[in-house]
Amino acid sequence: MKSHSAWGTSKNLVKFRIPTSDNLVPIRLDIEIDGQRFRDAFTWNPSDPDSEVVVFAKRTVKDLKLPPAFVTQIAQSIQTQLTEFRSYEGQDMYIGERVVPIKLDLRVNHTIIKDHFLWELNNFESDPEEFARIFCKDMGIEDPEVGPAIAIAIREQLYEIAVQSVTSAKESRLSKKGRRAGEIFSASKTGGNAVDLVKLFGNKSSVIRKRKEWDVYEPFVDLLSNEEVEALKAREERNIR
Amino acid sequence: MEKNCQELESYSVPSSSNWFSWSNIHEVERFSLREFFDGSSITRSPRIYKEYRDFIISKYREDPSRKLTFTEVRKSLVGDVSILHKVFTFLEKWGLINFDVKRNNEGDNCNGNGKTTSVGGEEEEEESWKGRVKLEEGAPYGVRVVAAPNSMKPVAQLPPPTSVSVDGGRGIGEVGHNGFKWPPLASYSDVFADLAQQEKKGLVCRSCKENCDSMHYEYTKEGSFILCEKCFKSGNYEENNSADDFKLINSGNQNNVWTEAETLHLLESVLKHGDDWDLVAQDVQTKSKMDCISKLMELPFGDRMLGSAQRKRKFLDLTGDVSNLKQGKLAFKESQESAKVEDPSHELKDEGQQNGYTDTEGQPLKRIRMEPTSNTTYLMNQVARISTAVGPHVTASAAEAAVTALCYENQCSREVFDEDNIFVDLKASAENIEQKRAAQGNLLDGDEGPKQSEIQGPSSEKDTIQINLRMRAATATALGAAAAHAKYLADQEERRMEQLMAIMIETQMKKLKRKMKYFDELELIMEKENAHIEELEESLVADRLNVLQRIFNAGISRWKDHASMKSETGSVQ
Repeated sequence: MKSHSAWGTSKNLVKFRIPTSDNLVPIRLDIEIDGQRFRDAFTWNPSDPDSEVVVFAKRTVKDLKLPPAFVTQIAQSIQTQLTEFRSYEGQDMYIGERVVPIKLDLRVNHTIIKDHFLWELNNFESDPEEFARIFCKDMGIEDPEVGPAIAIAIREQLYEIAVQSVTSAKESRLSKKGRRAGEIFSASKTGGNAVDLVKLFGNKSSVIRKRKEWDVYEPFVDLLSNEEVEALKAREERNIR
Repeated sequence: MEKNCQELESYSVPSSSNWFSWSNIHEVERFSLREFFDGSSITRSPRIYKEYRDFIISKYREDPSRKLTFTEVRKSLVGDVSILHKVFTFLEKWGLINFDVKRNNEGDNCNGNGKTTSVGGEEEEEESWKGRVKLEEGAPYGVRVVAAPNSMKPVAQLPPPTSVSVDGGRGIGEVGHNGFKWPPLASYSDVFADLAQQEKKGLVCRSCKENCDSMHYEYTKEGSFILCEKCFKSGNYEENNSADDFKLINSGNQNNVWTEAETLHLLESVLKHGDDWDLVAQDVQTKSKMDCISKLMELPFGDRMLGSAQRKRKFLDLTGDVSNLKQGKLAFKESQESAKVEDPSHELKDEGQQNGYTDTEGQPLKRIRMEPTSNTTYLMNQVARISTAVGPHVTASAAEAAVTALCYENQCSREVFDEDNIFVDLKASAENIEQKRAAQGNLLDGDEGPKQSEIQGPSSEKDTIQINLRMRAATATALGAAAAHAKYLADQEERRMEQLMAIMIETQMKKLKRKMKYFDELELIMEKENAHIEELEESLVADRLNVLQRIFNAGISRWKDHASMKSETGSVQ
């Protein structure tokens, strides 16, 4: 019964935003000029004035002692991503009650992290930074860059899902089959991503996972030696090219 | 709470969490984690919450000594990680998980006092979790409140001050351990019981064996005995004694003339000995205890001295400290005086100046009368008030006295406060502080100059570190006392509240019972009426039958009344 009403309520439609307590946009930079590579990832508050972008770019270049050509590139990249974010901002997205799996698979300096857990999309109080902080604390990670990286990875995935739900909302409106069908349509379209709530949270099942599934959802953290880092780096670059 | 599993292990849980039970979900849980209980989502329900909670706690209890991390549990639970984390934090905050671990990690202040039980809700200290708001019971962090020195048995309050009086009552006028003289915390019956007995004994008339009231006659020859007035007049002399042999003693008029010298003596000794009526009576040799007291009351300012004694009784029942403030002060002065060989009157005058009394009577009083300010029951307020009302010296000596009193109770503070040098050090440090404050400028400088220089000689060689430690220990004990007092008050409040609740519930019950009774009575009435009406009905039916019978007998033709009879028979059936 509940699932019916959940899908059908008008609460489904919310204005586009990152579904966390702070509406922060994840920005990723990957700029190469004259053989010099600059990669970075951080969160940006979209309500900051755009003039801040240039200021930020300049400061970054100054702090990291990069050649000044980077300034414009950085600023441009940030601006592009921001604009893209803003283009979604006026629109509606279907959130409803969705629990999505988030996967982490990243390397930060010497630390490798692989993880898999569930995240509730319509929990607008959720906080990826808090999650990242607890993660690092529990796993005893000392590298201070890991936490933010985790938070950004989560945000990116949430961002993507939010974008998807905007497009699916648009499509369902365009669809000729009407409101009901539209909901079913959207549910099935993104259903692959979302977790079957009834199956997992319904009365017949337990919310305690079976033991054999525990290591699927267990975080994996590893510290690499320098050679392994180099090897991985090389492989990543090959992939990108 | 103790959970007995097969190996009969027990788990420690703070007493504030004794609402927890495996089979139920408590209001606290419903309130803090209300998203599980408002039906807002299929992913959250009471059943789900219970599963999360039980799993997490069981997981923790698999190994209570290690700190359970959130990451460990979240892999095993299906659900949004933020919500899971909320449940986890909730359980951690209430000490249902990671409780002992925190304690052990924070160092062994308690000397192994790690286990707490929730019996009766009385606890010893629980460390406050840094940065978290937590209800604490018991004395604050770092202060240990135990029943007896070096025992592990916790108590919630300081031992009652009767122990102080026991020490003090060791002997009236006896010099205690540190040269303190403990004036007896005596009740009326203690002081005057024997007196009363004496008088009673003495006043039994020989012949009629009754108590003689005011006047009795004493036979002064061999084996004196007394006769009451009546017997004397009636000539009941016994054994041929003549009237001359009897001396009239008017017990109601004994020794009531006070000369000036006696009065002076009396006042001096009262100031010296305070409440100690035996000593006072000794000093004023010619007068008995009762006489002294009554004379004192008659004097214009005398009852001030007596009156202020009673006011202090109020503080006695909660801690011994505050009463020690006054009495310790007196006792300290006493020893101070005895140490010096000076003219007594000059001494007294000096004191008056020292303490900055502005007594208009010209006689320095040992006691100041405090207004009955105890509208506030806050101990610290009272202490602050008292200490502002008296001079700094007094406060210093009072603090010493308090510390010494506590030394009797607690072994470790005795270690901190080295008994031999307690006077010198604390006094010197107190004086130093006061000089810095310079609140009473010339008083301190003028009178104390000569005295201080003697004292500060030895004390200047003392470690300042020791003094610091003692200071801290002293403040810690003071705070502990205040905390214990506060707890006591809180307990009182709670009990009162419970009482009132009980009364309310009782009245409600009574109301309900009355209602029920009323309804019962109504029912009875209704039944009676019912019976009555049934009888009526029957009689009516019988009447009808009668009529019909007669009609029949009279032979009225049937078909005339056929129609009407048919209906009647129909209805009669």
